[in-house]
Amino acid sequence: MSHEYIPEIATSRDGTKYEVQGWQDDFYGGKLGFWLFMFTEVLMFGAMFMVLAYYNTLHPHEFLEASASLNRLLGGINTVILLVSALTMGLSLLKMRVGDVKGAKLMIYATMLLALAFLVIKGFEWRAEYNHGIFLMHGEMLPESGMAFGKKLFFGMYFTMTGIHGFHIIIGIGLMIWLLKRINAGKVSPEHHILHWNIALYWDIVHLIWVFVFPYYYMIGAGGVTGGH
Amino acid sequence: MGTNNTTIDYKKERSAYYKVLIGLLLLTAVTFIQPHLFMTESTFVAQMAIAVVKAWLIIMYYMHLKGDSLIGVMGIFSLVIVATFFIIVIGFDVANFQYGAESHITGPASAGVEHATPVHH
Repeated sequence: MSHEYIPEIATSRDGTKYEVQGWQDDFYGGKLGFWLFMFTEVLMFGAMFMVLAYYNTLHPHEFLEASASLNRLLGGINTVILLVSALTMGLSLLKMRVGDVKGAKLMIYATMLLALAFLVIKGFEWRAEYNHGIFLMHGEMLPESGMAFGKKLFFGMYFTMTGIHGFHIIIGIGLMIWLLKRINAGKVSPEHHILHWNIALYWDIVHLIWVFVFPYYYMIGAGGVTGGH
Repeated sequence: MGTNNTTIDYKKERSAYYKVLIGLLLLTAVTFIQPHLFMTESTFVAQMAIAVVKAWLIIMYYMHLKGDSLIGVMGIFSLVIVATFFIIVIGFDVANFQYGAESHITGPASAGVEHATPVHH
């Protein structure tokens, strides 16, 4: 087996041989380490949400107006896409755990397709906004333009956060390609699936971030300028 | 690579995944109808409350945190840290901000849409 563990041997001065403790089969340690990484993601996005909330308290009406101008249909479709992709990724892990490697790979391919669909829709959305003169350092977002300042802050944060989130989606696709290669190489298997487990966790945190990004940007202005505060 | 030697009830776990999916889809539907149906004067609070319920479902069932007390405690600890800073920044700093006139980001804070351009000095 390619993942066969060969223990390291240490020899003392008197020639006695000792087996060095290995952690290659430490499933919980691998999972715990990845959770620590995910907490750094929460802290990063948490800081951005704090900035967003700070600006929101300063410019509440402009935030509602800007939010109302976003395309809720496309945002909603992307929400459902990510939701279903979290299911397919979860099912891929479940299938791997019960030994259905082929089924697991199919579910990973489905997740990748959904991730690509998310990016394409997000691309259309950004393009429409760009054509309306709303993009970072462009048109209405330039300092000298007449757009209300609070809206500039809103859209600035919107492009920053959805951009970083989109970057995480791209990384996720890359990780899934890597996972497929590892499965094909026999290095991820029903018996040794911590990599699969952690990439599924990564995909869940990407989904989790969107669960808060979507209502904060797209929905707070849905009830009109008096509804959100 | 590590191993996870717990026994797996495939049908039960798959059923849980689908149940959570239905729950999340229903909550997403509620997200869309809420601004027109209930708590219409508090859309922000309602939206965030729905998001918290969705997040709880994802964390507990999709991220398998249910029954994992160590990681759960770590998660709560991290959230408490973020929430503490959040309260300090929003509750104290913003509430008592004294330099609105000098700041480029707070210039128009005293007014609504009609005074929306920043004050430059």
